[in-house]
Amino acid sequence: MADEAQYAIRSDTDVVFVRQAGRKLAQELGFAGSDLILIATAISELARNILEYAKLGEVRLCPVERDGRQGLTVIAEDHGPGIPDVALAMQDGYSTSRSLGLGLPGTRRLMDEFTIDSRVGEGTIVTVTKWIT
Amino acid sequence: MRVPILKQGPYLIASVQSALTDQDLVQLRDELADRVGKSRARGVIVDVTVLDVMDSFATRTLRTIAHVIRLRGAETVIVGIQPGVAFAMVQLGLSLEGVETALDLEEGIAVLNERLRATSGAVPDGG
Amino acid sequence: MADVARPLSKEAGITEEEFARRKDYLEIGPDDIDRLKRMNEFAQEYAVPVIDEFYRHIMSHDESAAFFRDPRVLERVKRLQVEYFKRLTTGEFDAAYAENRLRIGAVHEAVDLPTKLYLGSYAFYLRTVAAKIREAYRETPERVLDSFLSLLKVVFLDIGLAMDTYLVRRERTIRHQEEALRELFTPVLQVRPGLLIMPIIGPIDSQRARRLTEQLLAGIRQNRARVVVIDITGVPSVDSRVANHLVQTVQACRLMGARAMLTGLTAEVAQTLVNIGVNLANVNTVGDLQGGIEEAERLLGYRVTREDGTPPRG
Repeated sequence: MADEAQYAIRSDTDVVFVRQAGRKLAQELGFAGSDLILIATAISELARNILEYAKLGEVRLCPVERDGRQGLTVIAEDHGPGIPDVALAMQDGYSTSRSLGLGLPGTRRLMDEFTIDSRVGEGTIVTVTKWIT
Repeated sequence: MRVPILKQGPYLIASVQSALTDQDLVQLRDELADRVGKSRARGVIVDVTVLDVMDSFATRTLRTIAHVIRLRGAETVIVGIQPGVAFAMVQLGLSLEGVETALDLEEGIAVLNERLRATSGAVPDGG
Repeated sequence: MADVARPLSKEAGITEEEFARRKDYLEIGPDDIDRLKRMNEFAQEYAVPVIDEFYRHIMSHDESAAFFRDPRVLERVKRLQVEYFKRLTTGEFDAAYAENRLRIGAVHEAVDLPTKLYLGSYAFYLRTVAAKIREAYRETPERVLDSFLSLLKVVFLDIGLAMDTYLVRRERTIRHQEEALRELFTPVLQVRPGLLIMPIIGPIDSQRARRLTEQLLAGIRQNRARVVVIDITGVPSVDSRVANHLVQTVQACRLMGARAMLTGLTAEVAQTLVNIGVNLANVNTVGDLQGGIEEAERLLGYRVTREDGTPPRG
């Protein structure tokens, strides 16, 4: 099985790089068709959030297996300001500034599993997983 | 990677060649805004056939491009969004409201020709 | 053999630890193993007569006999049963044993054996074995019940394993059938160049919504469609979730340059959607499929006329 990989997010080129790496890994794990696009798009949004709200952080791509099913877990971690009201941020249509929301509710729809752990002043960890159907 | 912009008749055609960074997208926006005035183009086509990801930033920038181009007196058509990309975009809650879309370059030109015919009655020679 | 069987334990989630837990819960101990081993002697002797009686019972009922129309199958199964009967009293219940039992469940599922027949036959089998134990231990009748109870523990272990694969496989079968149904009932039809219709029949969940959308988007590209009509007359209940799926489908079509129209919304459904606040502002809705196709034709620049030149309506 493919190994876990870790990518630093510091600039917009990193966003493109990590989503391409994620797509490639997903393909190796056996994902196909529009799942590859959904995964790459989710990674792009998570990496973008890091860049936008914390300036830097990292994205880890982890192949996972459960009950004989293959999946991909993406962990996006930063030590930025954190989200004061996670419940609010998870509401559709919520945005902190300008016309752009955190994109978290949308990212949740792209993947099968979604958890978020955010502490003000400490940072945010978003973990998402997609399973091969 | 910079996006090449070609002039064809009354239209500007920007064909995206590979994955775009935010910087590339911003550059495309500025360049199109600049060129549309200079070339007195009546329409702009952005061909995104090769893109396999359209995230919130890309979508927002394309929308901005269309709005800026409209203020400059021309129409924009986004062409070539792939089925899987379209699906991911709506799942993410992204849309291109108020922006024309078409299946591919050929359809995009047809859309612009129709528009032009409707507004000026003249059939362009470049379509 | 083990290679073929191994995926079953994985499929049913029976790890070695889980198998050990099951034995532990049934309290299968050294005493039981001991008693079973002692029965091995007469098991060798009685295996064939027990199985013969067992199949006489099965073959005397139409419902159960129907599973053994082919005499070769019957012979093979009888042979395996004799082996199994002898195997039960060796007192060794390892991973290979578990695999073998799991396989039984998969076979039952594949031939669609009702559980009532499986359990009913098992009860008969136990009665037959009990009679043989009593006969063998007529000198020491106090051993009969203990020996039978030890055997019963193993039998329940056995049934548990077989039922679990039966259920896992049944779920898989149902899933496959559902998938097949989904594919079957959602055609994407081209009625004219540039115009597709998709009549949706049956309930829509998020999985199906995704499939439908993907099918429609692929159809748009393949047929170079500019207008699509999605007819939901056959969708039994349209709540806010379903409506949101449909809105997303319409939006996705638009991203590919095709205009999508919804037809077949009843007055009640329309009312409900407005009341619960579903935003259909950007979705073009037309009363029925016929109206939708006419509207689509108009958008595409088609004009329908009779051969004699009079307009089609009025």
